[in-house]
Amino acid sequence: MSTRFGSLGNLMKKQDLILNAVCLLFATGFVVMALSNVRRAGNFFSIDSLFITLVSLMLAGIFMVIPLLWAYENGVLKNLFAAEGDDVPAEALPVHFEGTTKLFLSILGFLLFLTVIEVFLAYVQVPLALMLTILVGLSLIKAALILAYFMHLRYERMSLVYTLIPMLVICICLLFIFFPDSFRIFNLRNYR
Amino acid sequence: MSTHAHAAERLTADDWSGGTFPYHIGHKKLGMWLFIVSDALTFSALLIGYSYVRVSSDAWPTPFAFYPSIIFSTVMTLCLLASSFTMVMAVGASARRDRRKARRWIGATMLGGLTFLVLHIYEWLHLINDYGLKPFSLPAAWLERWPQASPLFGATFFAITGLHMFHVLTGVIYLGYIALRIRRKTHEDVEISGLYWHFVDLVWMFVFPLIYLLSVDFHPPVH
Repeated sequence: MSTRFGSLGNLMKKQDLILNAVCLLFATGFVVMALSNVRRAGNFFSIDSLFITLVSLMLAGIFMVIPLLWAYENGVLKNLFAAEGDDVPAEALPVHFEGTTKLFLSILGFLLFLTVIEVFLAYVQVPLALMLTILVGLSLIKAALILAYFMHLRYERMSLVYTLIPMLVICICLLFIFFPDSFRIFNLRNYR
Repeated sequence: MSTHAHAAERLTADDWSGGTFPYHIGHKKLGMWLFIVSDALTFSALLIGYSYVRVSSDAWPTPFAFYPSIIFSTVMTLCLLASSFTMVMAVGASARRDRRKARRWIGATMLGGLTFLVLHIYEWLHLINDYGLKPFSLPAAWLERWPQASPLFGATFFAITGLHMFHVLTGVIYLGYIALRIRRKTHEDVEISGLYWHFVDLVWMFVFPLIYLLSVDFHPPVH
């Protein structure tokens, strides 16, 4: 253990030490905040309390990324995830364009078909919740098809997908936090 | 272009150890992807704001009759989808180094975009001049049909569709620039303009159902 600590001390420069210490401090602080909310919340399974817990844990996770990344880069975690034949050189960056005209035409056809379904649905009088679900669901499918095939995300590295899509989804979910207020406003109006 | 070759030659174990492109794409393309995500969030915020206002109001006008509103907006949707397809063809032609074909396909994409703009402006003029719709007040005829309707119909409609129209317009200008200077542009530049155009189409996929298809007029007044 002492040699491992020694090697860690050699690896860690002063700025890395400060950065890791600060990030760990913040991460611990947010975890403490989440735990104190769990202990103190009257009703844990309310939207407010769940929101605070989740956001604290998410922020703790974000601050943990830097020390973990440092650890991975300096070989502390690599042994846990190493596999045989990892050191394969990456290919160069060629001009590639995958996908045939037939594939893109069929994607276009599918998109047009979904659009026609949506327009027909507008004229069939279903309950609003069902209509909204189907419309947004179909639009999400259309968006996924455009992203994957027309914008070529299907043929790109997964790391790009992991960087872009969760960011988009999380921020849209954050935007939805205020939605219950609109129902409250509707019900609390008293001057009809 | 020489930096491309240098970076590609220094083959490393993975994308992240330096000397090569993270995510395996160039910096311009990554920049466009990040811009697309941020712009998508802008449109999401506007659409969610519109949904908020609509849910919280007592009544909301549903004035889009089949002719001209729904049929025009459906044609607009088909225009944008077709223009997305022609853009993919343009990127494919550019990958094969066929610059003339790429220019033609980009021209077809611009045509789709311009058709969309013309139809959309017609719709706007129809609503503003024939009905008298303003951002913060409804026409008197609509207030008779939908009493207590929120006056914010105009604001949400014009803001969302206006911002989208602006994106289509800048997209057409951007594509025109790429098509004009295609001899000096790399394949990557054509790909990046394609990404922007597909993003514009993607936003319309959400705007069209939420704004048009949820406000269909089932009993339009007979003129």
